[in-house]
Amino acid sequence: MDQIVFQSVHKVFRHRPALFNWLGREQRGETVALHDVSFSATRAEVLALLGPNGSGKTTALKLISTMLLPDGGRVRVGGFDARSHAGEVRRQVGIAVAAERSFFPRLSARENLEFFAALDEVSRRERAHRIDAVLRDTGLEEKADTLVMKFSSGMYQRLGIARALVKRPNVLLLDEPTRSLDAATTAHFWATIRGLAAQQTTVLLATHNFAEAAAVADRLLLLHRGELLADRPVGDGESAAALRDFYFRMTGEVDESICNR
Amino acid sequence: MTSTLDKLRAILWRDLLTAIRHRSGFAVTLVGVFTELAAFYYLSRAIGPGFRPGGIEYFPYVMVGTGVYTFFVMSAQAFLSSVQEAQQTGTLEVLMTTSTAPAELVILSSISAFAGNLVNLLVYLFAGVAVFRASIHANFFACVAVLFFSLALALALGIAAATLQVAFQKGSALLWLLGSGLWFLSGAMFPIQSLPRPLELLSRAVPLTYAVDGMRRALLEGQSLVTMAPTLAVLCGFGAILLPLALIGLSLSLRRARRNGTLSFY
Repeated sequence: MDQIVFQSVHKVFRHRPALFNWLGREQRGETVALHDVSFSATRAEVLALLGPNGSGKTTALKLISTMLLPDGGRVRVGGFDARSHAGEVRRQVGIAVAAERSFFPRLSARENLEFFAALDEVSRRERAHRIDAVLRDTGLEEKADTLVMKFSSGMYQRLGIARALVKRPNVLLLDEPTRSLDAATTAHFWATIRGLAAQQTTVLLATHNFAEAAAVADRLLLLHRGELLADRPVGDGESAAALRDFYFRMTGEVDESICNR
Repeated sequence: MTSTLDKLRAILWRDLLTAIRHRSGFAVTLVGVFTELAAFYYLSRAIGPGFRPGGIEYFPYVMVGTGVYTFFVMSAQAFLSSVQEAQQTGTLEVLMTTSTAPAELVILSSISAFAGNLVNLLVYLFAGVAVFRASIHANFFACVAVLFFSLALALALGIAAATLQVAFQKGSALLWLLGSGLWFLSGAMFPIQSLPRPLELLSRAVPLTYAVDGMRRALLEGQSLVTMAPTLAVLCGFGAILLPLALIGLSLSLRRARRNGTLSFY
């Protein structure tokens, strides 16, 4: 059975100016974030979601996590509709968002994870063991008892990933998960992703990093201006350069790294 | 049930740790408590012993009135601040993706905000009695009953402010408006019988008026549960109507925010 089903999904953000807008220059308008997007993901599959800024990657992840509701079409996770059975969907989904300041600054990393684990209904018996495991997996073991207000952006990002992992979700959503990570942590994280897929977790990864997509993804979804331009497998041994060429060919954007050579 | 208690424990523990790690926070609160009590103590001395609203000395009268009023408004304010902070840091969006239903999360979080302010209220009343010699004649069970029913009202106020915060990012405006109105109409500082007749009638439609009056009668006059049954019934009735209404409003505003993508707007 498909773990994630996106069926003709449509999402528009409408901008309404403030009441006394004649004092400023705010424009009325709307942004079509996703237009008639359909795809699905099976159990244990890793999907890389590629696309330029504003292409709708984060919106797609937020729709699956129930942070957003679609304007049209359907989003289903594990057979449950994200609109009518949001609670069931939330039980299955873990998400690490790109802007990782979403922690309680005066709690330590471990205390934050304990708090979110309780809300995610991880049993008290298992909690400590799982938290130790995700802290180890994300390289935060030594900083476990440091208040997160003292964390660097890379450490915040690791903690965001740890939080998403601690509930052991069937579907893991990652928004640019390695953007602020160093090379060693990134490599370890990629191995973790493949390990999770081997344990039947479906992973949807929004990224700008072609090497990341080549290293972990089974399939590639290419979004551009809210539309799905491509949905194809990533070949065994397909290189980051090949994905890069594909990306620029499909989106029609200019690859400045080639222009500057 | 076990899971809900576990979540409540986690939320209380988070808020306790956060409070004690704001190193000077509690000391500042204590100074504030003593300053306010001192101001009311000397105000009552300036007014003189002749002014005894409802036959009660003015200092304990105003101490209970302002204590209960502050408990209401500061609890709602604390809860609103936690929602605003969660919007600013992006925590609100993440909290909404946990396995805990939004309504359950909101109620548990608000209980925590109110628990903190309940401690402040107890410190305030204790300091009033121990330091400023306010004379009380408490009926413990009646006090607990008034507090219990008042809590539902205070929760409704906090959740209504959070609803406006999520819907229009204007929760603090509502709280400011309600806070000033309640201070004037609830009889916290003076008997509502001093107001012009229309305002006195309006005051009787304000739930906080019954909480303030009930606490005075339970704590200062030692009235029993039986004597206070009509007041408790009014408090219970207000709570039974306002709390579900506030929860429905919040649920609708969260749904609207998820549809418009404004959950983390502030």
